Amino acid sequence: MAKGRRAADGYDLYFGPVHPGSGNFGVKLTVEGERVVAARADPGYLHRGFEKLMEYRTPMQNAVLSDRLCILESLNWNLVHAEAVDRLCGTEIPERAKTIRVILAELSRIQSHIIWYGVLSKALGFDTGFKVAFGYRDYVLDLFEFVTGGRVYPAGYICPGGVRRDIPEGTKRRIVELLAKLERMIREFEAYDSKTIAVRCRGIGVLELDDALRLGATGPVLRASGLSADVRRDAPYEIYDDLDFEIPVREEGDAFARSIIRRREIEESIRIVRQALGRLTAEPLPPVKPKTAGKLPEGEVYVRNEIARGEAAVYLRSVGESHPYRCKIRGPDLLHMIPVLEHLLVGAEVADVPAIYWSLNICPADMDR
Amino acid sequence: MAAMESERRRAELLERIGSRFDLEPRVAEDGTAWVSVREQDLGDCLAFAKREGFDHCSAVSVTDWPEEETFELTYHLWSYETKVLLTVKSRIDRGKATVASAIPLWGPSAGIHERELHELFGVEFAGNPDLAPLFLEKWDGPPPFRKDFDWRAYVTETFYEEGNPHEQSYRD
Amino acid sequence: MIDMALGVIPQLIKNLFSRPMTVAFPHEAIPIPEGYRGEHAYDVDRCTGCTLCARVCPNRAIEMVEAPEERREAYPKTYPQIDLGKCCFCGLCQDICPSGAMTMTQNVFLSTNDRSTVLRSPFGKT
Repeated sequence: MAKGRRAADGYDLYFGPVHPGSGNFGVKLTVEGERVVAARADPGYLHRGFEKLMEYRTPMQNAVLSDRLCILESLNWNLVHAEAVDRLCGTEIPERAKTIRVILAELSRIQSHIIWYGVLSKALGFDTGFKVAFGYRDYVLDLFEFVTGGRVYPAGYICPGGVRRDIPEGTKRRIVELLAKLERMIREFEAYDSKTIAVRCRGIGVLELDDALRLGATGPVLRASGLSADVRRDAPYEIYDDLDFEIPVREEGDAFARSIIRRREIEESIRIVRQALGRLTAEPLPPVKPKTAGKLPEGEVYVRNEIARGEAAVYLRSVGESHPYRCKIRGPDLLHMIPVLEHLLVGAEVADVPAIYWSLNICPADMDR
Repeated sequence: MAAMESERRRAELLERIGSRFDLEPRVAEDGTAWVSVREQDLGDCLAFAKREGFDHCSAVSVTDWPEEETFELTYHLWSYETKVLLTVKSRIDRGKATVASAIPLWGPSAGIHERELHELFGVEFAGNPDLAPLFLEKWDGPPPFRKDFDWRAYVTETFYEEGNPHEQSYRD
Repeated sequence: MIDMALGVIPQLIKNLFSRPMTVAFPHEAIPIPEGYRGEHAYDVDRCTGCTLCARVCPNRAIEMVEAPEERREAYPKTYPQIDLGKCCFCGLCQDICPSGAMTMTQNVFLSTNDRSTVLRSPFGKT
């Protein structure tokens, strides 16, 4: 604080990166009194250089690496990468493998939204919501442990060629039990809403549709501003064109609208998993054997998927070697955490910063890569 | 029905781009469209695409071709209305890598990608007001994602210790 | 306000009669399913020294080493030494091993204060 200046005349407040409510990411806020007048994002704490790392590894090894692109929704990122390699190579994926991929991707989306709800509650001070959410998330992780061999890191379970091994005996029954628990969870969340999330998030952080498009918002952030856009419906992949699900859209564009959309998405994902379970055929699925030799065909491909946070894409360029020549990873969070966040925080009150920040459901890992 | 309509609109769109810039757009098996333009036509082509309804700039990327002394820029554009993915590719000189920014067309959604590419590849985007470093702090070496930056040598020299038994397998 | 207070009471009563969820680790542990990717179980007599595991490992955690002097006659090839510090427990080595010498168990209790135990020699404790 400079001499002769009052503290309220504009000081810098760091929100993160060692803040319990901000993840591995910092925002430098310039605050006057209680109001934020400028925000500057400070990214880079999780930069691991994935795009360069992937140039030195074969596709199967990259599949193992792709979980770590954003650990909060690792199976979704496995799927984008696996699809990019499959499309480049022109591989035919067996129907059973596609169905398993969709089931796991949707469960991963549900699990990611549960984390979002928990951390949003924590950031707003509603500790019970945090504990209940993470308690329910544990049931989903138990299922992942049973199927893929790891709770949080599935180690490239969804890999180029299908899935690494078939689902074990008893998975279908466990998924049905899990879905019943998740429906109970949604009712619990809705019951708490009116006194907690609604009070802190209504009317906060309003993002107009033109701003959303100009700043590059995708996923629930864009759908809360009024545009119905979802890659699963607009450019369907895997078995999504055969499944029946709705895309929740709201007009208000505030933090509460984004919350409602994510909760509705959990319900829609449960519906998708139920339909996919019904379509699981009985033929046995051979495991995908990793190879150390073998070259990728020459070519390039750009694959987009809808992950929990928005639109994820992989651009894969190969010149006929065993490693990709260039692997560009596009995550939704580079746009959400820098242009959108900086825009929304200007003019907000300091007490609303966590609500706006977490309503965007950011993940520093897929921004920094 | 919707799929056929979408295909028809895509075909018309590519026809227009092809005739305007004298090119042959390529449609891949999955329905994505790829167009390679000359460096001097890049700005016009992107502006044309924006006018044709490609309002979402999904990603901007650079591929390094050191043997050919060029950088290949790829702009991946999506149209929410016609549901077509168009990639515009162009090669620029690697030594003097400067290109006009796409901010006037797509705003910060393209600008943030340009900022990242400036830091990691060293491409200059003229007209982008904010090309401050994004991820790396106090980095004064060459742009690290270029193919001629040997990051393994850098890591081995900077971080690894000589006698550490755990690091022997990396020294090959 | 009163309805909020009253709404808590059924949950309170339910919690009075339900079991605690605490698991007294390390005396008890929750069961770990089969197929969990834990510590490696390596059988040197089944190994053919093909080096596929070392080549597929994404982190180069497996290094092929020669047998110690006294066993070199019986084991003339090179065998995998696993650095658990670098291992990401992905299981690619298990999937690619053609003879089934490299498998993964469910043992996840690998924390140690002794760094020398992190490098797993193919010949076990020598």
